[in-house]
Amino acid sequence: MPTIKGSDVHKVVVACDAGMGSSVMLASQLRKQLAGQAVTVEHTPVSSIPADADVVVVHRGLADRARAIAPDTVIVPVQVFIGDPAVNAIVTAVKNGSDLNG
Amino acid sequence: MADDLLQRSAIRLGERATDRDDAIRRCGATLVEIGSVDPAYVDAMLLRERSISTYVGEGVAIPHATLEGKSSVHRDALAVLRFPDGVDWGGETVAVCVAIAAKGDGHVAILSELAQILLEPDRARELREATDPDDVLRLLAPVGQSPLGEDAA
Repeated sequence: MPTIKGSDVHKVVVACDAGMGSSVMLASQLRKQLAGQAVTVEHTPVSSIPADADVVVVHRGLADRARAIAPDTVIVPVQVFIGDPAVNAIVTAVKNGSDLNG
Repeated sequence: MADDLLQRSAIRLGERATDRDDAIRRCGATLVEIGSVDPAYVDAMLLRERSISTYVGEGVAIPHATLEGKSSVHRDALAVLRFPDGVDWGGETVAVCVAIAAKGDGHVAILSELAQILLEPDRARELREATDPDDVLRLLAPVGQSPLGEDAA
């Protein structure tokens, strides 16, 4: 299972099936929570996860597809798109420079 | 731009649906009616919902298609349908659907505002209880912009 130090996270990608709904909302929230950090947040369809993503956030039901596409990248599955503890853990890891597993 | 994305005619606040699929069909029919999507888009919305729920919390769902459905989109648009009696959504109760049809990113600002609303219980309740389309337009207007309805006038 890949691990990354929060201080090495520079690009977070929020992926969903179409990249038009839930991922958009979650990306906008993450962007606000990470404002002031040297981290960019993008949203894409799960099939177009960019190679330079450091962390990928996906709905739990899409996690296997995301792992197949980005096997060496930390994948963070979420159940709810707004206020999910897994998302808060990313924010904490980035701010503290602590490890993030996935 | 944002003015056209959420038209007043696509805000319907007194809807009824027997179940989740029925609610999604109502949302899809609204998008078809305003010329945003082909009827095929509605099937893609139903498929997407069956694979992963679009429930986002606070009684709100955001039905939309899968990637494949994008070819059925003519014009990016949103529709807001309110179901005062609530709709069972896989165990959750949905009062408001914000239906999405998008090929581009023009709707991102409105969805960002919706995400913010979901974190503020008072505004989320306002959205769930809205009976005037102007209130919906005001609530969803991205910060820093005047209400969408006035822009469109």
